Amino acid sequence: MNSIRPSMALLTVRSHKTALLCTAGMALLIVLAVVSLFTGKYPLTWQGLAGGDGMQLRVFYTLRLSRTAVGLIGGFALGAAGFVYQTVFRNPLASPDVIGVTSGASAGAAAGILFLSGAAAVTAASFAGALAAMGLALALSALDQSGKQATIVLAGIAVHSLAQTALMCLKLTADPERELASIEYWIMGSLNGISGYSIGGNLLLCAVCVAVLFLLHRQVVLLSAEEGEARMLGVSVGKLRLAVLLVATLAVSAVVSLTGLISFVGLLAPHGARLLTRRNDAGTMLLGGILGGVLLTGADILARSVAATELPVSIFTSLLGAPFLIVLIVRGRKGYE
Amino acid sequence: MNEAHPFFAAIHLSAGYGRQPVLRDISFTLEQGCLAGVLGANGCGKTTLLKAICGILPHAGRCTLQETCLEQLTPRQLARRCGYIPQRSGISIDLSVLEVVLMGFNPQLGLLEHPTPAMREKARRALALTGLAHREKDNYLQLSEGQKQLCILARTLAADSQLLLLDEPESALDFRHRYRILDLLRTWAGKGNGSALVALHDPLLALNCCDQLLVLSDGWVQACLTPGKDALPRIERELAAIYGPVSLQYCTGRNGQRQIVLLKEPD
Repeated sequence: MNSIRPSMALLTVRSHKTALLCTAGMALLIVLAVVSLFTGKYPLTWQGLAGGDGMQLRVFYTLRLSRTAVGLIGGFALGAAGFVYQTVFRNPLASPDVIGVTSGASAGAAAGILFLSGAAAVTAASFAGALAAMGLALALSALDQSGKQATIVLAGIAVHSLAQTALMCLKLTADPERELASIEYWIMGSLNGISGYSIGGNLLLCAVCVAVLFLLHRQVVLLSAEEGEARMLGVSVGKLRLAVLLVATLAVSAVVSLTGLISFVGLLAPHGARLLTRRNDAGTMLLGGILGGVLLTGADILARSVAATELPVSIFTSLLGAPFLIVLIVRGRKGYE
Repeated sequence: MNEAHPFFAAIHLSAGYGRQPVLRDISFTLEQGCLAGVLGANGCGKTTLLKAICGILPHAGRCTLQETCLEQLTPRQLARRCGYIPQRSGISIDLSVLEVVLMGFNPQLGLLEHPTPAMREKARRALALTGLAHREKDNYLQLSEGQKQLCILARTLAADSQLLLLDEPESALDFRHRYRILDLLRTWAGKGNGSALVALHDPLLALNCCDQLLVLSDGWVQACLTPGKDALPRIERELAAIYGPVSLQYCTGRNGQRQIVLLKEPD
């Protein structure tokens, strides 16, 4: 029997190019984090913080730090989870919506806005909605013992439709002046309103799920083979796919229940990483996470600085992301020179 | 051959898709070190037979390998014993050739474990055996279809399986590599590593490289042939049922090796 190296080697970034890209990405992420801490309606200064200005310290600790943490960790989780979805489904367009989780989160948030009070309650309701959607999709797919990939996708479509119907019903009953506007604003996605009191549990769950996904990276790659081939490589395809999707979806649920729907990050970040490295190793997944963090934090900085009122963050994730993706695609298609 | 305890046995195997039966009550045995070919017209059940043996396709009947019932094994246990090479590998993401070969060690690794340096070395040796040593860092998706087949063969050879199941491995290969892949399998089996069952479209390749031939027709075993021992008229008769009239002759090459030559006669 061969001696087995510990699994931490999974995180070893073998490619020099990938390591370089990850280092550059991390440097950019740190710069954006610093900018994010000092961007907002209430001006913060180094001198004020160092001098112990009470108001500045309160804004820094309760609002800016938590908002920046959600941008960094949430973006990283969306990027890493997107990598997993696209690899497992062998589909470059795969995202958490494949199994209806974002629709469930939206319906949950709408119910929270209508029937509960307070931002923390809306976050909890949204998280519950996301979990319910995920649970229903996975339970429906488990009815088919064959564990086929198409079954999960079909179950996801059914759950997505159900959640959209519930959301429409909730919108119909909402007060158009106040509640309906809140629901629409939530759906557009924003990091506004995040405070240090409500994010701890979500970010911890997010970090644990992302760590598990990295540990399972080799299994994620095995799931990218066709079902019969993966089975003949010793993979219990149905069970492993469910487990991996469960962890990835939990991470996404933890983020979207805090931020509302964030478009494009989970789709673009892993694509960008793959186009840059042309690989699917753990280093590329790490780069996907870093790009996700860069995109969400960068978009959030723009969302609170380009206009007098704060704008939905999804506008900027798309505005920043789309040209970046187009450049990478054009660069990748130059072909033989 | 040990008739009582064959190395591999398929016993009353029936399989199909939905309600459409394709294999009908097939039974046969393989001895250790045997390279067996499966011949038959399109749609006769060659791929179905291989998929049924390796458990990808639900089936009736059972298969035993060294007296272990394959149907009772978990995917991991099955993968340690059997290697399967499909007509086309389903890998569709950017992976290096070496990474694809290393996938073959998965049954020997725990859920969170990673291939060891010894496994990497073994994978490199398997790549060298299939002539892809210089491509180990290349993107698997950028290989030709034939090279992909060789890469998947390297993955299977590296994994120390006892039974190899190959579905038309020669279909995308050039003339030279067709013989090379069969020679590799023959050498592998000849060393006592195990046995290989290979679905083939080329009867000439099958006649000259395989120890045993299973001729399938409409889901049945029409004949079991031993090319080195059976008389040519009998082989001609059995092949004619699939391919129409054929003539077989022995021909001696420049190295003195006697080979069978197949000619297609007018229908």
